[in-house]
Amino acid sequence: MASSGAAEADPPGEREREQEQERRRLAASLTARYSDWVLEALDELPGSFLLTDPALAGHPIVYASRGLTALTGYARRDVLGRNARLFQGAATARAAVAGVREAVRAHRTHQVPILNYRRDGSPHWVLLHLAPVFHARDGSVLHFLAVQVPIADAKRRGGAAAAGAVLLAACREEARVEEDFPCAAHAGKAFVDMDKRGLEAEEPRVPSDSEKEMAINTADSIVSALNRYSKLTGLVVSRKRCDSVGIPALSSSLNLSLGRIKQSFVLTYSCLPDMPIIYASEAFISLTGYSREDILGRNCRVLNGPDTSLEVLEEVRTGFYSFFSLSKEPDRSFVASTFIRKDGSSFHDLLHVSPIRDASGKVRLHLSQVAFHIWVHLDMGAKHDFNGLTPEVWQLGAVAAVRVAVRGLSASGSLLRPSQ
Amino acid sequence: MVSASATKVEGVKTHLYYFGAEHGNDNLKNFAYSEQGDPNLLDTILLSQWDNFAWKGHLDYDVTACQLKVIEGGKKFVCQLNNKWNSFFLKEYDKFFESFGCLKPNSMKCYEGLLLCIAQGEKDRPEVAPSSPPPKDGLLVIANAHPVEYGHIFLVPSAMINQVSCYRDKRMFQLATKIAFEVNNAAFRVFFDSGTSVVSDHMPFQACYFANPLPVESTSTFMVYDGKGRSDIIVSETVDYPLKALVFTSNNLQALVTVVSEISSLHDNTTAYSLLITNNGTKIFLFPQVKNLATGCSLSAWECGGYFVYHTKFDFDSASETAISSRMSSISLHDSAFEDLKHLCCTIADDLVIHCLNHSRIFFDDNFFLSTMKQKDRAMRKPHSPLMNLLGAKRSAMSSRNNSA
Repeated sequence: MASSGAAEADPPGEREREQEQERRRLAASLTARYSDWVLEALDELPGSFLLTDPALAGHPIVYASRGLTALTGYARRDVLGRNARLFQGAATARAAVAGVREAVRAHRTHQVPILNYRRDGSPHWVLLHLAPVFHARDGSVLHFLAVQVPIADAKRRGGAAAAGAVLLAACREEARVEEDFPCAAHAGKAFVDMDKRGLEAEEPRVPSDSEKEMAINTADSIVSALNRYSKLTGLVVSRKRCDSVGIPALSSSLNLSLGRIKQSFVLTYSCLPDMPIIYASEAFISLTGYSREDILGRNCRVLNGPDTSLEVLEEVRTGFYSFFSLSKEPDRSFVASTFIRKDGSSFHDLLHVSPIRDASGKVRLHLSQVAFHIWVHLDMGAKHDFNGLTPEVWQLGAVAAVRVAVRGLSASGSLLRPSQ
Repeated sequence: MVSASATKVEGVKTHLYYFGAEHGNDNLKNFAYSEQGDPNLLDTILLSQWDNFAWKGHLDYDVTACQLKVIEGGKKFVCQLNNKWNSFFLKEYDKFFESFGCLKPNSMKCYEGLLLCIAQGEKDRPEVAPSSPPPKDGLLVIANAHPVEYGHIFLVPSAMINQVSCYRDKRMFQLATKIAFEVNNAAFRVFFDSGTSVVSDHMPFQACYFANPLPVESTSTFMVYDGKGRSDIIVSETVDYPLKALVFTSNNLQALVTVVSEISSLHDNTTAYSLLITNNGTKIFLFPQVKNLATGCSLSAWECGGYFVYHTKFDFDSASETAISSRMSSISLHDSAFEDLKHLCCTIADDLVIHCLNHSRIFFDDNFFLSTMKQKDRAMRKPHSPLMNLLGAKRSAMSSRNNSA
């Protein structure tokens, strides 16, 4: 660690205590900002990534993922507290390093292929995806996340690279349950063989689209996890500074399917901080008086009024996170509350919120990857002819209909139109 | 929903959906509650009950989390990665029947899989009775804990609970198609898997929701029989689809049901029929397959439609249009057998005599049929097609029964 120079002079007990303090300090960098469960949540994510804290001296690594060892050969405890430059070495391009340094200084997201070195000294190419994690309200940088995605050699990309990737993926699965990584040596060998060929040319390897996508997906999952656990302690994090968040547009086939659902509901997008509304049904528009332009991009709290009970918000919050904790709730919550229309008039509402999963062709990086939440409203003041159904069944029908719609495939395989 | 009641007499109770009364119109009007902008009653309750069933953790896996993709190529086959689903639950078959034991009258046991029941009602409009015992002459909607897609259910006739009866009789067929009509949701499809010859009589109709059109629904078709004005049915065949299939289209539910149930009830040792009822009960796909004597039917109706499930990631990733197409063609009927079947279907469709305007009943004019049979026999170049013989035998048996009655 940092104080290795003076190690021999200290008695062993002292050193151990120092190390323990150091470890706690680093862990606190995370748990001070997020709930204690954040470490467990991050441990569940596959891939090799780090979280670093720019506020601490030396900009040390405060968290290393389980996948790091399979990729780099470093045990997690080896890297905690050290600066991330430990992965760089003799042949690492100076320009690449400078680019990373500049991005850190400017608090920018940066993606660059870079030659890193494993613990045993062998070099390997990775796509480094660096992104700052901002405090959504005051814009300060809380952490940096750095994702490392191995770049396969283009020449052997077909067979061996696929096999290597499968092997690594298999190892990641293993890594999640076992402490020692039996496949690591073998996977390392596969990489070394490919690398020797790559090093002959000093050219940086070009990452494939799927590798780039994997880096972005991993980064998104990390931010989602941080978001989830920060909310419990009242903090909200973002990958971008507050002003520039744009909401995604839904694919036309999804819009079409959703348009057939008659109940009053909105869909919020769970991956963005503050969960903006990205779809509002016709019935919702006529119930609340807000037009599509008014409501898209806003948070659902726009409906809250002075009479909206705080219990509502609590129920909703628990509803969100019970799903994430993968424990099945025996009862679904239907909350009666009062909300405000655009014109200021209030209405008695029955609200139900449910998460909607997405299983499109994209790489699923998190088990409970939730794409949207559906908020179904029912105006209890208006006359409804339920024909023998309860209001709850009415609302669940909408939830299920949205699940069917989301399950559909668009031509591009994605529920969202590609971002600009 | 479903709860064991306190007294022994009452037994299982569940939602009971009543169809609106039949007025004898050939073209059933959909009393769309959707005229007022309200969601469809049957659709809503089916979806919501299934969602509850899933939420409570009764499914073996979350089918909405199973990866889906469209395979490259013109046919746009769909495939799903799911290592827990299998198309023929023949091994589970006994368990399946056993589980119904609790639905017998006076049973105390609770059966979570029973989502709701459906029966014919007396009133003009459909309605739901929230807590009723299962009807004696109706249908039980039972959730499939190993779904192929969201909302996968079995449609089990009440009569079956007490004694084993043939699923594929016309009445059951009619109910199945009528349900498709009532749900009025293009994503809802009813289908029928023809199992081995031993089990096929006992396989129930099934249904599930899928938002996209299935590949077979998007494939082009060629009309081979235009029954407008006569029998109200149009028969077409698929063009360029690896599994040769016939499509029956009609707005007249009775006509459609009569014709298709007639055809699919033909017991032939070499051919099995799977069915897919789509378009809110107005379009039925008939998939004839060469029966494999060892395993019976090779492809489920869903697979015939172009949606395949793979158990391993490797298979899922390496799925190709060519492999799927060749698999389908290998069990597709030979050209000559398919031609026979086509002729047969057109004949059957043509022999429907509709009494227009006031009457709703459709029947086969036996005398008319027998005479035209002979004419058609002469017209056909193949004098003794096995299918035609079967039909002829069945018809003459029927007519002799009628005559003697």
